[in-house]
Amino acid sequence: MTDTTTIPAESSASSNEISLVDADIHQRWADDEEITQYLPPRYKDDGIVAPTLLYRNPGGFFRQEDVADDGTKPGTDLEKLASTHLDENNIDYGMLTGNSWFNLAALPNRDYAVELARAYNEWLVNDCLPVDDRFLGSLYVAPKAPEESAELIREYGDNPQIRQVMIPGGAEVPYGRPQYWPMYEAAEEMNLAIAVHPFSEGHGTSNAPTGAGHPNSYIEWHTLLGAYYMGQLASIVTEGVFVEYPDLRWAFIEGGYGWLPHFMWRLDKNWKGLRSQAPWLEQRPSQYIRDNVWFASQPIEEPETPEQHNQILDMMHADEMLVFASDYPHWDGDDPTWGLPPMEDSVERAVRYENAMELWDLPRNQ
Amino acid sequence: MTEKRFEICPTSELPPGDRVITTLDGISIGVFNIDGEYHALKNDCPHQRAPLCEGKLTGTTESTAPGQYEWTADGQIVQCPWHGWEFDVTTGESVFNPHSVKAKTFQTTVESTGEARGGSSAEAAGGSPPCSSCETSEVDGEPPVDTYDVEVEHDTVVVYL
Repeated sequence: MTDTTTIPAESSASSNEISLVDADIHQRWADDEEITQYLPPRYKDDGIVAPTLLYRNPGGFFRQEDVADDGTKPGTDLEKLASTHLDENNIDYGMLTGNSWFNLAALPNRDYAVELARAYNEWLVNDCLPVDDRFLGSLYVAPKAPEESAELIREYGDNPQIRQVMIPGGAEVPYGRPQYWPMYEAAEEMNLAIAVHPFSEGHGTSNAPTGAGHPNSYIEWHTLLGAYYMGQLASIVTEGVFVEYPDLRWAFIEGGYGWLPHFMWRLDKNWKGLRSQAPWLEQRPSQYIRDNVWFASQPIEEPETPEQHNQILDMMHADEMLVFASDYPHWDGDDPTWGLPPMEDSVERAVRYENAMELWDLPRNQ
Repeated sequence: MTEKRFEICPTSELPPGDRVITTLDGISIGVFNIDGEYHALKNDCPHQRAPLCEGKLTGTTESTAPGQYEWTADGQIVQCPWHGWEFDVTTGESVFNPHSVKAKTFQTTVESTGEARGGSSAEAAGGSPPCSSCETSEVDGEPPVDTYDVEVEHDTVVVYL
């Protein structure tokens, strides 16, 4: 079990009171060599070979003002990332989620996917996390190789800044299947959350990114990330992942949350008549979601009126489950100051930091 | 006591696994024989008022671990014909939330009704030896017949509202 008190106490935040935790910050390598240096000899010559997103965003995928004149993408300079994004926004902890384009679940070769994940983790612990104490880390694993992924979790998971294991939204089969459970067992054992972040949906060997098939455009693809997550969430809840691993904490990042009331109500309603198909569930399905699952806010839902947003927060139990994320430096990010709409003070505290502290079991005093 | 007593049918007409749905005092009620025990349930699902007692009489699943199924309460669970909610006929409790979602049950008993009538019926003596002390004689080659008095009780399924 990770000792939560070993997180370094230094912080450049103005007080030792936590005020904001950012659940999704994308750091990236400027040059592939930063990653490939950690690949084993058998893959040195291959470099990074990963499926890519084939949908085009006309505005690009980054905040355009942060793209340097020489084309250097934001997130590559980690000291700058700390001094601008963390300092200027008074962020006490920022979860580094890396660079989506590995698409580790969409790679056909399991061994290569494991080694690419290992190389990323080496880069993360050697070259990223030491830059600033406020950085938290997300391990990469290869879901097609659950046993080897469990080894990676145990190997890297005791770094006190590592707080979660990231898996792609897209995969070959839903995440509730017992084939994946060695990863969950390891994560629970190491006191790490499992976080799902969009990538691999519809790329390479993964499934179509929507139940309806392959969309025509990025607007379709990006709109329906929540629909993909619904499939994963139904799977992990009904297959009994949280019955088997009651202390496992799970996060869904960047797939929205406005669909949660519908999803929880529908699942509970169906359970009343179809309970016999999942008799291991010891309580109504939505209770497992409220107890074990968190959702990152970005891209924030923008209904027709602010009142409607507050109704969503109330219906989904945002005070228990929603965590702020900026998604910096991506094009659809939410600004830490202006991104959150008005909400009740107690809910805002929960969303800004309290829920994230629980999700990652972070110490209250930095 | 303001209980109202209703005789439903002779036990012989309601064997194990069967049910009869009847209207008592204006209320539709299902009377079930579950393994020789009789139970009465209001024919009215607490969810959307479906005719609950017309649902499939079945069992349900329990589990000791994810992925493991155990079949239980076989023949004791009525599944609402509309939305599949499961109720234990013997208690009226729903399986998914036994503490607060229940179907109404009624007291059900078996009582002897009518007079116990003396009667007789003939039974073949089978392989028993002839009664040497009896005055019997073979008539036309027919074997001797022992006769016994038999009391037939008329047990009736009764529901109290």
